[in-house]
Amino acid sequence: MTPALTLFNFFLITVGGFFAGLLGSLTGLGGGTVLVPLLTIFYGVPIIYATGASLVSTIATSAGSASAYVKERISNVKIGIGLEVATTIGAVIGSLLAVFVYTHNLDWIIYVLFGAVLLFSLYPTAEKGRHEVPPVKAPDWTTRLFQMTGVYYDARLKKDVHYSGVKWWAGEIVMLFAGIISGLLGIGSGAMKVLGMDWAMNLPMKVTTTTSNFMVGITAATGSSIYWYAGYIQIFIAAGTAVGVLAGSFVGTKILVRMSNKNIRWLFFAVLSFLGAEMLLKGLSDNGIFQTSSPLRLGISALVSVILISGLFLLIRKQEAEDVKV
Amino acid sequence: MSKYELNDILSMVLRIGVVLSLVLLLTGITLLFVLHGGGGYTLEQVANYKPGQSTLNSSAIPLTGMVNGLAHLNGIYYITLGLWVLIFTPISIVVIALVEFIMSKNRLYIVLSMIVLFDLFFAMLVVPALFHV
Repeated sequence: MTPALTLFNFFLITVGGFFAGLLGSLTGLGGGTVLVPLLTIFYGVPIIYATGASLVSTIATSAGSASAYVKERISNVKIGIGLEVATTIGAVIGSLLAVFVYTHNLDWIIYVLFGAVLLFSLYPTAEKGRHEVPPVKAPDWTTRLFQMTGVYYDARLKKDVHYSGVKWWAGEIVMLFAGIISGLLGIGSGAMKVLGMDWAMNLPMKVTTTTSNFMVGITAATGSSIYWYAGYIQIFIAAGTAVGVLAGSFVGTKILVRMSNKNIRWLFFAVLSFLGAEMLLKGLSDNGIFQTSSPLRLGISALVSVILISGLFLLIRKQEAEDVKV
Repeated sequence: MSKYELNDILSMVLRIGVVLSLVLLLTGITLLFVLHGGGGYTLEQVANYKPGQSTLNSSAIPLTGMVNGLAHLNGIYYITLGLWVLIFTPISIVVIALVEFIMSKNRLYIVLSMIVLFDLFFAMLVVPALFHV
């Protein structure tokens, strides 16, 4: 390969990272979730290097956007660090599982799990934002012990929002799984962290998303060091994607605040579900459970994505209509 | 240290970490292209990631060669340092938060953040040792 071609290749990897970061931030799923399928399906990058590059890029985007949220005092550093107890333990377990999977040539498991996690993350991610501030629940013993009260200024509601989290232990359980998924699949698993803080701990959406944002970096740092020694980080790819994903998510957040038509998000969700279906099918095909040719996979994935997203769109529309009535 | 200052320091550290790492990554890539590779690897070898052909990944880059590599303008080590700066950025957040918890005598959170740091260093120092067994 000539140097010019290598340079072009680096450029292509950076552009891929840029799109992953852009799509990741517009949908709220994070850059890694888009990057891994992109690199494996379209760039022919082995999945170990794709997940390694993704994990490192995840730290970059997390730190980049968290610096703004932390400064604005929306993210709750205390709650975040408390929950990191479980995510870091999970990340160690997950990364070691990844080492086991790769040394036993069970790569297909990663594809299948990745596809499944991606598809299952769509619903909670698409649904979020319906309830900006959750209905108040009575504080429990963990609220006081773990000091889970806080306040932030909501620019859209134009008032201070006081909140108190509950069921710290339930949050920790969800975080343990989020950590395992992060270490195993090389993603930040921000969607799962949001789920834990939103559903289990009853924290306001703004607090969960921004706190999850800075937590993702700590979780990914744990996995990254294990990935480094295991040899899953190819520096040429990782450097390109880190730069690309960071730039992409930066642009994404700028677009997000100006995007007036929220329905455009559904187009992005369709792309994500396509990638999820493609990963799932590739894993099943590699294992021989359900063998498909590459064009057939593209066709099935496109079909799945159209059906899934129209269904999800109608479902959430219906729920929103009911919300208005109540 | 007040709550106000903590958030500002954390925000600044995150930003410095990201910018520093970006500069190092881009310097490393530039060096690899200008010097046609680095540390005995050709540019082509560094860039090759195809299955079965890839010659260089992180397990072949000993961190002990960092100082020497940087001094010899080895692009591989500039990228490596950039990636490790990135890994250490979130870790430094936990350290700073720990300092704040110590100063405010928040015992529970001193313990919690120390557990997080333990996990991080377990991943960094203990787990890699297992690979060499």
